[in-house]
Amino acid sequence: MNDIIFTAIVTAIKILVVLAVTLGLGAYLTWYERKFAGHLQARRGPTVVGPFGLLQPLADGLKLMTKAPIIPRGIDIKLYYMAIMMALVPAIMLFAVVPFGPSFKILGHEVKPIVANLNIAILYVFAMGSMAAYGTLFAGWASNSKYAFIGSLRKAALIVSYEVVLGFAALSVILLAGSMNVFDIVNAQIKSGVWYILYQPVSFILFLFCLLAESGRVPFDIQEAEAELVTGYNVEYGGMKFGIFPLAEWYLNVLALCAIASVLYFGGWAGPHIFGPFSGFIWFLAKTFGLLFFVLWVHWTLPRYQAKDVVEFAWKYLLPISIINLIGTAFFIYFKG
Amino acid sequence: MIKIKKLRRDDSLGPLESVLFLDFIKGLTITMKNLLRKPITTQYPKEKITPPKRFRGKHGHFVYDGQEPPSLKAIEGFMSFEKGKSRCVACYMCQTACPMPTLFRIEAVQMPDGTKKVVRFDMNLLNCLFCGLCVDACPVECLTMSDIHEMAVYRRSQAVIHIDDMEKIGATNATVVRNLPDRIWRDDKERETLWGKVKWNF
Repeated sequence: MNDIIFTAIVTAIKILVVLAVTLGLGAYLTWYERKFAGHLQARRGPTVVGPFGLLQPLADGLKLMTKAPIIPRGIDIKLYYMAIMMALVPAIMLFAVVPFGPSFKILGHEVKPIVANLNIAILYVFAMGSMAAYGTLFAGWASNSKYAFIGSLRKAALIVSYEVVLGFAALSVILLAGSMNVFDIVNAQIKSGVWYILYQPVSFILFLFCLLAESGRVPFDIQEAEAELVTGYNVEYGGMKFGIFPLAEWYLNVLALCAIASVLYFGGWAGPHIFGPFSGFIWFLAKTFGLLFFVLWVHWTLPRYQAKDVVEFAWKYLLPISIINLIGTAFFIYFKG
Repeated sequence: MIKIKKLRRDDSLGPLESVLFLDFIKGLTITMKNLLRKPITTQYPKEKITPPKRFRGKHGHFVYDGQEPPSLKAIEGFMSFEKGKSRCVACYMCQTACPMPTLFRIEAVQMPDGTKKVVRFDMNLLNCLFCGLCVDACPVECLTMSDIHEMAVYRRSQAVIHIDDMEKIGATNATVVRNLPDRIWRDDKERETLWGKVKWNF
């Protein structure tokens, strides 16, 4: 009985911490991205609000919240509001299976810094990634606007094609680790002493492409191509209703997928114990933010593919490569492992 | 027969380029170089770059102060000028040269002693395209352009500048600009601290 109460309290604390950290980080990633994008283009980024523009996310949030709520005519109002939650919830729920560090002991109980230690964690990630498409799709459908609708259709096509590749890419890592549990995957990497990016470089590159596509980042941001579709599926939303979509898709989704990628390919929290007891957490965050840095770097460098090219690229090139990679890995494990 | 050189976009990458994402890496290096560079922008309301000497800004009138060109000296006797006031002779040359002539409103009267006096010289800057043809057309080097470029106003009527405004500009900003050495930037040193060494491709 005592055990159950302890578990409940710890889980509640974990959920609160993860929610607070991810939403806060999501807000501050806007500042980071604007600053980074500015400096990539030899500009300064936000400088006016607070020191180094650090209060800019708060000012943006305040501005978005005080906007007049405009509801366009002819919309499907239930779906219109539901789409916001459908976009935000899967993005936050992705963090449920992100292991932030190694397990440690409090009061004689072993505590794992993960909200839900599922044994099908990677499958869960794919599921939530696909769920995120519904938010976009409903937003486009409910808005009664051709731009939003085209944008959401593009996103649906993108998710359908890239989910397949993502699955096959991650499957080769799961084969190597022999488990879908994130703790087992990381422990397998620590045990073998090699990060899986060395065994599976092709798979990592495929995963990176899918990460960019799933989170609507350049060069695959066809669903919100500013030049053609204004901003695509969220064009009819205003105020904080609008603010949720980029927060969920551009920041929370990217952050969660970067964390998953660092678990799958970079050994999660594995690293030399040079920061004392927090070493694992620091390594994990460093890897995640390193990947995030790369994603932002790519975003602010490359131009956008055409819509047909993106889907063609996935089916014609990425999928065969990922299947060949998977079969090769399977043969390797069968004969050598 | 004219020969036309046909340029075709070569959209097929080489095998090495497409496998190793060489074109991606090229782009990424360029942005990384920019990231390590100092920002080249200026914080506009806080720091302002001085416009170059040949900048075409708000119009001004040079005043009657004894530095007139010989063309004015010839007809000086027929004009009723005052010291420190505009040296305009109301010849309408500026209006003739202007691509949008209706923006000028020039009026002159004959004084009792027979001389000519300019009583009105208005320019509606909302119609002006700042081509500078009026400045070139002025035979007495009266009309000029200063480096004032912040000309936003709250009402349309405020965008019309009158002869006394132009006299003021002529005596202050336009005089400063006139006395500058002729080069692209007023202060190259200050510009170099902001933007780095300037290379000219002449």
